[in-house]
Amino acid sequence: MKKFLCLMLCVLLAFAGLAAASAEAPVQEIVYALANEPDGIDPGVTNNSFASPILNNVFEGLVDYSSADGSLIPGEAESWEISDDGLTYTFTLREGLKWSDGSDHTAADYVYAMKRILDPNTEAKYVDFLLGYIVGAEEYYADNSIDFDTVGVKAPDDRTFVMTLKAPAPYWIDILAMWTFSPVQQATVEANGERWTATADAYVSNGPFRMAEINMGESFVLEKNPYYYDADQVKLEKITFRFISDLGTSLMAYESNEIDGMDQIPTTDMARLKAEDAGVVVTPSYGTVWYDFNCAKAPFDNVLVRKAFCLAVDRTAIIEDVVQTEADPAYSFMSPGYVLDGEDLMDAASDNDLSEEADVEAAQAALAEAGYPDGEGFPEITLSYYSNETVGKVVEAMARQLQDNLNISIKISNADWAVYYDDILAGNFDIGAMGWSGDYLHPMTFLALFRTGDVNNQVMYSNAEYDALVDQAANMTDAAEAFEVMRQAEAIAAAEYPVLPLYYKANTKLMHNNVQGYFVTPSNDLLLKTAYVAE
Amino acid sequence: MGKYLLKRLVMMVITLFLIALLTFVLMHAVPGGPFTSDKQVSKAVLDALNEKYKLNDPLWKQFLDYMGGLLRLDLGPSFKYQGKTVNDFISNGLPYSARLGAVTLVFVLLSSIPMGIVSALKNGKWQDMLVMALATIGVTIPSFVIATGLIYVFSFKLGWTPMYGVDKWQGYILPMIALGGYSVSFLARLMRSSLLDVMGQDYIRTARAKGISETRVVVKHALRNALIPVVTVLGPTVANLLTGSFVIEKIFAIPGMGGYFVNSVTQRDYTTILGMTVFYAAFLIAMVFIVDLFYCLIDPRIKYE
Repeated sequence: MKKFLCLMLCVLLAFAGLAAASAEAPVQEIVYALANEPDGIDPGVTNNSFASPILNNVFEGLVDYSSADGSLIPGEAESWEISDDGLTYTFTLREGLKWSDGSDHTAADYVYAMKRILDPNTEAKYVDFLLGYIVGAEEYYADNSIDFDTVGVKAPDDRTFVMTLKAPAPYWIDILAMWTFSPVQQATVEANGERWTATADAYVSNGPFRMAEINMGESFVLEKNPYYYDADQVKLEKITFRFISDLGTSLMAYESNEIDGMDQIPTTDMARLKAEDAGVVVTPSYGTVWYDFNCAKAPFDNVLVRKAFCLAVDRTAIIEDVVQTEADPAYSFMSPGYVLDGEDLMDAASDNDLSEEADVEAAQAALAEAGYPDGEGFPEITLSYYSNETVGKVVEAMARQLQDNLNISIKISNADWAVYYDDILAGNFDIGAMGWSGDYLHPMTFLALFRTGDVNNQVMYSNAEYDALVDQAANMTDAAEAFEVMRQAEAIAAAEYPVLPLYYKANTKLMHNNVQGYFVTPSNDLLLKTAYVAE
Repeated sequence: MGKYLLKRLVMMVITLFLIALLTFVLMHAVPGGPFTSDKQVSKAVLDALNEKYKLNDPLWKQFLDYMGGLLRLDLGPSFKYQGKTVNDFISNGLPYSARLGAVTLVFVLLSSIPMGIVSALKNGKWQDMLVMALATIGVTIPSFVIATGLIYVFSFKLGWTPMYGVDKWQGYILPMIALGGYSVSFLARLMRSSLLDVMGQDYIRTARAKGISETRVVVKHALRNALIPVVTVLGPTVANLLTGSFVIEKIFAIPGMGGYFVNSVTQRDYTTILGMTVFYAAFLIAMVFIVDLFYCLIDPRIKYE
């Protein structure tokens, strides 16, 4: 009888669906809740990940990620050529490109955008990606009075844009997908100064959508950009990004269909939402959650101590019971996700003797070998983290596991991010909560972190052999050869445990099942170019 | 009276100056700086930022520059939000906060004072019990619990009010109740005890002995005196309500001032911390001043020399 009722209900629902479908097509508008307001929406300036939903949908660079398999595809550049020495990139732009205000948009706009970033007054946070790679960029940034012609970005004609690099970088194309390399319109920037991002009229862009309304502290409203070269593919007419910082409120709004999606899921509701098939979207992320060891300071200057700690943590318990998320346990700092010719860089990677659950015996053995049998004589160490509810729970759980499994004593300390991060940078920590999300989809974003002297090498890991391999890979023009070298480099560093890897990040968000055709990149960028509301 | 006003104004300026100075010192004493974000920027960028925002200048010079700007009512640029000024935060957020605050204030006054009066006049009867029970709930349950409960019942379950925002007028109802709940309860209790106190005074007995009707005794003689303590706390309450509550604004996703103020502290957005503190302090001081002036109107015995 129950089955029959179910069947009847399904039939009825199907009819209801058909009736609705024939009545009218769904309105192509969505409301998406964002938990945080970005610190700015100037593509040349901000490095704030909260700006991603806006920047990635209103701007488009030379290359783009909005493809079904997540591979890099041409954006405003219809094609490009790389010189044999791997130093000169020549891009051919599509014909008839326009800004969102209808004016013409040429290769010179790319040159202007780069020039603007290289002016220190612009406060470009990602300027390092130009300084480190482009010929003459560093010199020009240091002294803006130098002739800009010395910098390796040129526009010989309206449709040709040329970049010249200091050294070959096979991942340069991946870097170019970052919003930093989007063009900006000189006319509006010069007319409005810093405030060109403050009003919808002044905020001229070149992507599938353009700004319709800016309501400070409340929302960004995007509309379809009729001047976009691929406007025929764009189906959504309006996207409202509404800031709702209270996840409880946004979840109730989501469940009563007032909003179509939201960028964060309250962890306590995750299991229920999944069980209800309420639109939990899980996508792989190019990032790893780990804990920094202070490799320059005792006792963590000893690789065996670091190994013992890595072995003593129960990753499954942390992922499933504490964080309650969708994630794979991590045995290396390097996240999977970089694929070349169908093979992931991490496919053949070693597990570095680590496993999903704690290996107490092996951990104790490593600690004994390091000179602390049964934790004897091991100094009390501090596990620090930044004020964040989830991280706090993980730290509590981890401290308990480490204490129980290694018979040592652990102190927990926490501070605001600003204070915490200063301490980490100053080397003022034993173990600290950290992690990395790739700025661009190439292993170099991870490998550079552990290079001796790198600005982001907070763990003070240093290994000459590793440095040499990373430098070698960074300068290789052949992607397949670089792939092998990077594999070796990863294996060397991961086996010395510069960090305590916990899990590989996965991006989770909520989106009602009737919103389809969007892409989520491994950098957690939500691309709505081809999204639509289905019936 | 003129002399008194002048004296008060001078005092207000000095108070504000001290508040600014104290905030400035405390803020710089706290470790961490405004340019620590989730991704480390290189030294070259950091130098450029410090240069641009004059953080390399000696502290006393930074303070003097800031005070100079303050005199021109320029609270400076935000260090955190590109292209935004602290004036933007206030001019943008204050209308939302103030509108909600004004609605809440009307709600608070119209409910708390009658509640207090009824409660005092029906002392010990069921009306008194009911009002005091409500007031106790309002004082003890935190506003965010009330807010979440209200959304759950009236927006989520019943669908009567919007879930978030104040785009429609109905959007004001729940935040108003959640924001005003504490003040209603507090003022009702204050009104009750104050009125009970006054009703026991000799001059009320005298008034009654003269055969004046009970209504007249309460309205004309008792109420005016009983209102004095209520007016006293009304100053800070008004300032509080009008400048917005971070918690309530967060839960109902109202783009008021509160969110920027609280975030500015964890982000070490120096100008925003300072600007908002000074603004809030000025508002509070002004409200207290206005309340003091109101005393003359209520109680003829009070005169300012």
